[in-house]
Amino acid sequence: MILEMISNIFLILGAFFALTGAVGLFKFPDFFTRVHAASVTDSIATILLFSGLILRTEFDLVTVKLVFVLVFLLLTSPTASHALAKSARHGLLATSAETLSKTNKDNN
Amino acid sequence: MMVLAATCIAVLSVMALALARALHADTVYDRILGINMFGTKTAVLIALMGFLNERPDFLDIAIVYALINFIGMIAVLRFFEYTATDDS
Amino acid sequence: MTNKMITHLTIWTITLSVFWLLLSGFLQPLLLAFGVFSVALVIVLLQRMDNVDQQPVKPALGLPIWRYSLWLIGQVIGSSVNVAKLVWLGNKALTPAVEKLPLTDIPAKNRVLYANSITLTPGTLSIDIDDQHVTVHALEKASIEELKAGDMAHKIAAVFGGKAQ
Repeated sequence: MILEMISNIFLILGAFFALTGAVGLFKFPDFFTRVHAASVTDSIATILLFSGLILRTEFDLVTVKLVFVLVFLLLTSPTASHALAKSARHGLLATSAETLSKTNKDNN
Repeated sequence: MMVLAATCIAVLSVMALALARALHADTVYDRILGINMFGTKTAVLIALMGFLNERPDFLDIAIVYALINFIGMIAVLRFFEYTATDDS
Repeated sequence: MTNKMITHLTIWTITLSVFWLLLSGFLQPLLLAFGVFSVALVIVLLQRMDNVDQQPVKPALGLPIWRYSLWLIGQVIGSSVNVAKLVWLGNKALTPAVEKLPLTDIPAKNRVLYANSITLTPGTLSIDIDDQHVTVHALEKASIEELKAGDMAHKIAAVFGGKAQ
């Protein structure tokens, strides 16, 4: 009963953080800041949602599988973000810090 | 059960937002970012669905989706790393 | 040399077998035979690849990696709340910054862990990595200062402790 309460709290918080990241995808000004918004959904929302599900199992093989999916997502999502940022960088996409100084120069 | 269903709906709307981002994007990298988020949330959604229907075997499918999403991501990025053009 | 190699491969065999059993969960002869076959295949490939690159890697399953993971989850929670605040408060508070951080203190095999930890923590993102530096993009200047203070770097260097060259 208590476990289910905690699990509910985790699931609701996880859903909230996932939505936060999705909204951030639209609100942030340039590509690199949007990657940060996406990494909120990738890291904490995944941790919270899967912890919520783990508390609902009977702590058997299903739990192990959930832990495995969680660890796998936590290992691969930063790798994917890094690959994405790196190829954006090589594709000569300026970061917003650089864009800001460039527009200031243009205005002057 | 209510909370699980609500979480499923929240994850579905996150996926819808990610897809909308991928459709209305300035650069090809924004599109890939949206698709990546869509893919990881698919794995989460399948796990949630398994619990909603009380069929935890769905977790195996979630594992497969997570694997395929990662490999697909890396493959697409390999392709775009040096050949991307601005499609805005 | 050969003795060391045998223990190394035995550790991997046990790890992989446990992993396979946990994923499968069936104990029928046919499926077990498939499992034995896959483990044997992976071990043969591993042995051949170790012969080529001459740097065998142990599975890190000791206490330090767990302690580090717990600490990292704490960091992730703290900075997620921070980024969530930035999302809902609008983008006036954003101060994006790019900086190169030195990597020379960190043993070569812990660098992947370091770059991945930086990316996993919301608010900081490793863009590029070479032999001496990792290029970090941050949502706020403060998070780069925090990384510069070297808390995470020290903890990473300690994960494989004395075993690092």
